[in-house]
Amino acid sequence: MTAVTNQTISQPLDRVDGPAKVTGRARYSAEIPLPGTVHAVLVGAVVPSGRTNTIQTGEAEQVPGVLAVLTHANLPKIAAQPRLFPSLFGHAAVGETFFPMQDDVVHYAGQPVAMVVADTLERAQHAAGLVHVSYHTAPSTTTLEQGRDRAYEPGRIFGGLLPGRMERGDPDSGLAKAPVHIDRTYRFAANHHNPIEPSSTTAVWEDDRLTLYDSTQGITATRLTVAELMGLPSSNVRVLTHYVGGGFGAKAMIWPHVALTAIAARYVGRPVKLALTREQMFSSCGHREEQEQHAVLGAGNEGRVTTLRHHKLSATSPFDDWAEPSLNVAAQAYSYPNYQGSYRLVRTNTMTPTFTRGPGEASGMFALESAMDELAYELGLDPIELRLRNHADADPLTGNPWSSKGLRECYQRGAERFGWRERNPAARSQRDGHWLIGSGTATAGYPVPAFPGLQPQRARARLYADGSAVLQAGTQEFGTGVATAMTQVAADGLGVPLDRVRFDYGDTELPNTAPAVGSAGSGMVSSAVHSAATSLRDQLVAQAVAQAVADSESPLHAADPSTVVVGDGRMMLRDRPETGETYSELLQRNGVEDAEALGSWQPTGMDTGYALTTFGAQFAEVAVDSDLGLVRVRRMVGAFAPGRVLNPKTARSQLMGGMLWGMSQALPEGTQMDSRMGRWANASLGEYLVPVNADAPEVDVEFVEVREDVANPLGVKGVGEIGQIGAAAAIANAVFHATGHRVRELPIRIEHLLRSA
Amino acid sequence: MEFLSPATWEEALAAKSAHPDAVPIMGGTDVMVELNFDQHRPSALLDLTRVAELAEWGPDGSRVRLGAGVSYTTIIQRLGKHAPALAQAARTVASPQIRNRGTVGGNLGGASPAGDSHPPLLAADAVIELASVHGVRHVAAREFYLGPRRTARRDDELIAAVLLPERAGPQHFCKIGTRNAMVIAVASFCVTLDAATRTAGTGIGSAGPTPLRAVAAEEFLTAEFDWQGAGPLSEAAVRHFGELVASAARPIDDVRGSADYRKHALSVMARRALSWSVTDYRKGEAQCA
Repeated sequence: MTAVTNQTISQPLDRVDGPAKVTGRARYSAEIPLPGTVHAVLVGAVVPSGRTNTIQTGEAEQVPGVLAVLTHANLPKIAAQPRLFPSLFGHAAVGETFFPMQDDVVHYAGQPVAMVVADTLERAQHAAGLVHVSYHTAPSTTTLEQGRDRAYEPGRIFGGLLPGRMERGDPDSGLAKAPVHIDRTYRFAANHHNPIEPSSTTAVWEDDRLTLYDSTQGITATRLTVAELMGLPSSNVRVLTHYVGGGFGAKAMIWPHVALTAIAARYVGRPVKLALTREQMFSSCGHREEQEQHAVLGAGNEGRVTTLRHHKLSATSPFDDWAEPSLNVAAQAYSYPNYQGSYRLVRTNTMTPTFTRGPGEASGMFALESAMDELAYELGLDPIELRLRNHADADPLTGNPWSSKGLRECYQRGAERFGWRERNPAARSQRDGHWLIGSGTATAGYPVPAFPGLQPQRARARLYADGSAVLQAGTQEFGTGVATAMTQVAADGLGVPLDRVRFDYGDTELPNTAPAVGSAGSGMVSSAVHSAATSLRDQLVAQAVAQAVADSESPLHAADPSTVVVGDGRMMLRDRPETGETYSELLQRNGVEDAEALGSWQPTGMDTGYALTTFGAQFAEVAVDSDLGLVRVRRMVGAFAPGRVLNPKTARSQLMGGMLWGMSQALPEGTQMDSRMGRWANASLGEYLVPVNADAPEVDVEFVEVREDVANPLGVKGVGEIGQIGAAAAIANAVFHATGHRVRELPIRIEHLLRSA
Repeated sequence: MEFLSPATWEEALAAKSAHPDAVPIMGGTDVMVELNFDQHRPSALLDLTRVAELAEWGPDGSRVRLGAGVSYTTIIQRLGKHAPALAQAARTVASPQIRNRGTVGGNLGGASPAGDSHPPLLAADAVIELASVHGVRHVAAREFYLGPRRTARRDDELIAAVLLPERAGPQHFCKIGTRNAMVIAVASFCVTLDAATRTAGTGIGSAGPTPLRAVAAEEFLTAEFDWQGAGPLSEAAVRHFGELVASAARPIDDVRGSADYRKHALSVMARRALSWSVTDYRKGEAQCA
């Protein structure tokens, strides 16, 4: 094995796409100018349930520039309905198993019932307003409350991947024997993702070949989904996506508007662009479902938790059994021998819920970590001490050892950074003017995706005779810094300087990688890039030392490859670095313009004998104005053990962003359903509140180093979502410490705290 | 839709006279939002951005004359001494980009009860200068707001300026929002203590069909406050002031907050703003925002 002397991995490098983004040169999907493009606008149902009665299109069709008004009456039918399966697995991945405009049925408000195509966006919008739809409205269920008595237990959830019920040990007798119980119900409003870039698709046909410019977290998912829906060979669909303006799960699955755009483009024979409005984003790309979780902890007087019973009730669509997996990380969080978890669903007239920032972990760990805080107060134990007493030294689900953990260090380092030990544990014991001050903590956990059936991760490395190199993989940059980190991985793998490497991505014609979902992007893509880069390096070293071929002029001729190191684009003997040559010299002497290698890595399955989960610890300080019911987060500290950190600068930013999403989950964020109309009541950024800069507290991120040898070749566990997990619980626990009042509902609203005055 | 773009104030007044239903546009932070949402489709837009004097401000006798087109950013940077409550309110408007564009004139033209500048104008007894081809007239802010988004401005008039009385005492503005910026007030409140006239002023935002005064609270405070010795107010007096402010509000339940919460919050803000003001008054310091 050849070693590399230069190291750019783990350096806090600036983003390679930074200048393009701040100068506006970076083109997002809807900004790419394509000659002859016309515009599509969707008309959404205004009722949540029933059938369309009449759809009058005549007036819209008369608008100058209108090319087509499509409804279920004239829209070409889809060829097949793919099943719902998480895009991580690399197959077709619809967000819901319902495709609109196939018939007159209305399942949810906002469901497309017509689509107008016109030569300009303004004309399309104007004409869309002239499509007159009347409805036969049927009774609807849009909230948990309305459907509670019709709840059912699904066999499996989450695209069939997870069982609806799990049990180990003897939870009933565990609870019966436990002297201390915490038995609480937690409620969660629905959430919408709200990336800054609303989804858009542009479809361009050339004969029977389709090119899509799509704002997606997975170009291959878009390719396979649209190919299956339209009955096209996969090879005839190409997807281009370089920059994505945030996804947060809204672009993790492929929603109907993507294929609708392709259908419209074929119908009118022109390239068609469809950009969802901000309001349409609330009924087009899924959401985190409204839910309720019932958690029961049974513990001994010394704080040993013997049993967790964790039941979830949540809203799904009329056609899919979807629940975000809220129970799974909570089931592994501590060493309880007895456990029971179950999901129950209520069919509601909404679209199918989907992955949303920490899908499941963020809500499940709010419930568990709130309950753990209550238990700590009940027992008079320090909340950190309680968690240490229940630390799971092995995975409680399987008994397998953790591939790496670092949670004890996270508690310790986080507590030090935060000043946890100086805290007066008594609730309502600290005041600053009108503000009551409190602090709280919580555990964070997020799984490293390890499933059977994940696709091989591929990348291509090419080195030119001038010493420059390009690494290619079919991923896309959605703001995480993947292009920067992959440039670093490529430079180190090849042993060339960073400025000689370009990372090329955003095109399904490039080697396939997994979508950027489930915090898996950096682990998956880095494995492919690392594999390709090291393959090419080994190939070039082999060529230099080869005895069988003619090139005996290499200074490394006949050397043992294991004694060769590379750095700065030069191969040399480890013990005699003056003996060697550059890649360029080797290629040029042989009259070869480039060398290329494909790298492939098969992701980890479940048979490693290890449990793979990322852990961390969250700390928050809040100020509560109990006269006015206001909460302000003053500071947050998070300590995380995400394995290898490819770029501490972008990783830190992601973790900070995650912690702020946790603050957002705790305080401003929630979608309210108006059950009379069956529509989301606050479908705008003016009314669906996310934090602004002025709300962002001091956020301190601490990395705890752990050695990770199982997850993937570079030991990357991922930082995409772990920053959010537990943050909302730490804030709610801090609110309790500040006020003595426990809030068991998210978001925490003014009304919850006025009662605490 | 016609787009009128006068280069001078005279042309602007003539255009408004000829097109009384034209909607004036300056920063565009309200008008453009309404247009984009198609809530309103006026026959004409009257662009005032080329009228340079609208963006000017300066002393006018003992008062400060604030052109209707002066941005919130300028108010924050320049008017902290003359009009601290207005400057405090300006700071709470939306975001830096919007504060660069938005104006008090626009706030007055739109007359949303949630407009951040209204409570300070009411409390400080500011005067609105209205102009038309027929001449100029002055209307006290306290007489300006007539109904939901209805004002004393006539159809052929433009808002030229706001006249801010010379400050003679502390002023405090408070606003409750659901986050720290980019937010419409759930409720807002302003109080002024004027040592020269020995009167108190109040203004209430986002808690009624129009911006409001709490007249009974003003009268109570004017009578109760120790203008000479600046002695502290009793806790009962402060509490009563808060109750009078809350009772002057006429709020509704909406997506931002309930009517009850708004009344409660106003009483809390009124108590706090009064306590800060009394402390400032006692210090005799010019409290700058």
